[in-house]
Amino acid sequence: MLQYLIIQLDNTSTSFCHYSNTKNRPLLITLDNLKNGILFAMKENLMVQYVLPDYELPAEYIEAMESIDNTKIASYQSVYANNADIVVLNGWNKEYLFDKDDVYVLRVDKKELFGKCSEIKEKIKMCRRLNIVITDVETFTDVDFELYRSVLKEFSIALEDSFAADFVAQLNVLTDRMMLDKMNNCNAGCDSITLAPDGRFYVCPAFYYENEYNIGSLVDGLDIKNPQLYRLEYAPICRHCDAYQCKRCIWLNRKTTFEVNTPSHEQCVVSHLERNASRELMMSVRERVEFLSDKEEIKDISYLDPFDLRDEWL
Amino acid sequence: MEKIKENSSGWSNGMARNITFIVTKDCQLACKYCYLVGKNSNERMTWEVAKQAIDYILSHEDDFKEESVIWDFIGGEPFLEIDLIDKICDYVKIEMYRRNHHWFNSYRFSFSTNGINYHTESVQNFIKKNIEHLSIGITIDGTKRKHDLNRIWKTADMKKGGGSPEEERGSYDDVARNIPLWLEQFPNAGTKVTISSADIPYIKESVLHLYSLGIHEVNINCVFENVWQEKDDVKFEEQLLELADAIIDGEFYKDYTCSFFNENLGKPLDRKLQNQNWCGAGKMLSIDAAGNFYPCTRFAQYSLRDKRAWMIGNIYDGIDKNKLRPFLVLDRCIQSTLECIECEVAEGCAWCQGENYDSADTSTIYQRSTAICKMHKARVRANNYYWNKLFRKLEFKGIAKKESVDYAKLSNSNNLIC
Repeated sequence: MLQYLIIQLDNTSTSFCHYSNTKNRPLLITLDNLKNGILFAMKENLMVQYVLPDYELPAEYIEAMESIDNTKIASYQSVYANNADIVVLNGWNKEYLFDKDDVYVLRVDKKELFGKCSEIKEKIKMCRRLNIVITDVETFTDVDFELYRSVLKEFSIALEDSFAADFVAQLNVLTDRMMLDKMNNCNAGCDSITLAPDGRFYVCPAFYYENEYNIGSLVDGLDIKNPQLYRLEYAPICRHCDAYQCKRCIWLNRKTTFEVNTPSHEQCVVSHLERNASRELMMSVRERVEFLSDKEEIKDISYLDPFDLRDEWL
Repeated sequence: MEKIKENSSGWSNGMARNITFIVTKDCQLACKYCYLVGKNSNERMTWEVAKQAIDYILSHEDDFKEESVIWDFIGGEPFLEIDLIDKICDYVKIEMYRRNHHWFNSYRFSFSTNGINYHTESVQNFIKKNIEHLSIGITIDGTKRKHDLNRIWKTADMKKGGGSPEEERGSYDDVARNIPLWLEQFPNAGTKVTISSADIPYIKESVLHLYSLGIHEVNINCVFENVWQEKDDVKFEEQLLELADAIIDGEFYKDYTCSFFNENLGKPLDRKLQNQNWCGAGKMLSIDAAGNFYPCTRFAQYSLRDKRAWMIGNIYDGIDKNKLRPFLVLDRCIQSTLECIECEVAEGCAWCQGENYDSADTSTIYQRSTAICKMHKARVRANNYYWNKLFRKLEFKGIAKKESVDYAKLSNSNNLIC
């Protein structure tokens, strides 16, 4: 069931996920489209998430935006960074200043993640929550998987100390799985859709930037073809999976396997490395203090890609 | 003891890896129902591409673990490229031996041909050289009027994109003359017949005609594309009922088969226990003239009306296994509508993954085309009639298999029990 409308206010609004923003020239959504998008959200009972540009918006835009309850996403460089609910860090910079009450999305490629791991881990405890998004996960090799396993181990050590000190820092790739009892994925096309600056609806911003298909417009209405394919029960691998924290990125699925409901090997393995690292972290903390006592232990499993179990399902 | 001839299950019982070379996209014919919408005379495979494809496949034994292999050659018309094919097959044999590959001694070369060049010296030499490892199917659609309705020669204007009905020339005579030679060399060979809307009135006479030519196995199916007209299902059922009468009254069932009639047809399917995908796309590998790999020929661009080709790699970079994942986890229910899942006569209702993809509302293989629905239901009714009549006849003669008779009775008494 749709719950969120993401409004990409400008072509240059920051990416907050795996995709790259491929449009360099500003193109601001028209005021009419913004207002009609808000009206659509009100009528459909949707929570609005604005993705803001770095530059200052006209006053009438701000006025319209505030006519509905909303969440704001902006880059660290944006003039709106201080007012944003989620601040996006595009690449790593050790000079970043973190606010203890804020939520950050760190978009990094694997080279930067592996190379700056020690610097990044020091910042985990300095914010309310850090979401790491690896922007080239589809290029991971077996060597990268091992490096990522090491990175997760380093992060775990930092987190374990904070948990023992009674401060529950949140790092999406390690702490989400501990808290979850069922899949909590991106769910683009199912829980959320995106209104782009061109006045059309897309499954997510990536589908706009990558010149993929739209799913309707403010003029013609929403028209999601094959809507079932965005739902978990129609995802042949994911519906069997317990890497509940996995992004299950619909756009990466489309890019790597041609199907929105089928993840790549790389996405599955990365998510399972995170899942397994969460398991070990949870067990380690529990040896030291009482921790998440209402949550079940994460099971020990023998595979990293659930695709390998397909013969058991069919 | 009287017997009922059963449909053959194919070489290696369908468990072999199928590797298809699209050696040319050209054909002498322009069959009206042909799904290959992008045929042309330009895209012919070179020896260099073929060799590199073979080298790739044979050097990646871990990715091709099936016990056996069928090296399949398709077009267009494959025998237009018999010299290349001969070179490919020689190289395959030598390399499988040299590499001590597990497919050596467990391979077939397979062809679907229009039969026009079958008698030529180069094709015959190839057949004689490889006959122990060959399967060749010649497509003949039935009687002359049925065959010539669709299987017409390509005209000079067609080559330029034009053509008119006045110019149409059927290919029956050019194919039929090669049937005796073909059956002499492959006595158990079967033919493949395709039915589209215009062919329906000729089904019965065509199957009987093929029997009269000495073809004992007629594999026949309705096209999966959405070509069907109002009342086609009624006409189709009438034809099949007449065909059923003719086969049973003429006792052709002893030595001939027609794939329209099958005991395992028209029952509901269990959501869990009978949830397998029908189609083998993704478990095959198809290679075109440019050296691109596809999960099946139907995903190459020349087969697709509305969608982009589904490439899974090429001979230079290898197979992108991520592009195969959707095929290998695809099951029946996930791609089917609720109506299909709950269908009372679902068993035997076929689909083509490529046609599903081509006709889907989005770029997906997870949306099953239902264009064939009414035709399948008509087939099921005629099939029920066929087996009821046949078993009753055999029962009276006291020679039916007891379990078959009981099964037929039981399966047809569901309504009474409920």
